[in-house]
Amino acid sequence: MLVLLHPYLQVQNPPMSEASEPQTILPLEVIDKSVGKKIRVLLTNDKEFTGTLIGFDDFVNMVLEDVVEESNDGVSDKVIKKMLLNGGQVAMIVPS
Amino acid sequence: MSEITKTDPSKFLSDIIGNSVVVKLHNGIQYSGNLQSIDGFMNIVLDDGKELVGNEVGKNFGDVFIRGNNGT
Repeated sequence: MLVLLHPYLQVQNPPMSEASEPQTILPLEVIDKSVGKKIRVLLTNDKEFTGTLIGFDDFVNMVLEDVVEESNDGVSDKVIKKMLLNGGQVAMIVPS
Repeated sequence: MSEITKTDPSKFLSDIIGNSVVVKLHNGIQYSGNLQSIDGFMNIVLDDGKELVGNEVGKNFGDVFIRGNNGT
């Protein structure tokens, strides 16, 4: 631990080139940016959920609000006020 | 700002304990009841659980345990 405090060993961070080149964007960053916004979630079982993203965790389990479910038999007419979606079947998230 | 509105799944779950919930499984069957407890595997215990197949009410159960991997 002491070694880290030695001035010679401290890593000088090069100045970040922020605006010039887009840095790598982590997938979870994309989801994090969508918190509070409307998203569409596609599952592996041909189901789709559209709603407002409230939160998520490392497993991509998601809390969604005012959700409309869509499957291959059509759009459900009732809106789910608040739901937790298991991340296990999530295939794709589309911010809108 | 987003810190206030952000509710991650674990917080959401602790918030809704005691409320009446609907749990959808992979197989399309839904179970409604009062959420008694839930853990990190998303194992779920419902009180006064009712089985809903499609829109019809199936069996009535007392306490129901749902193994986490089945939940959608």
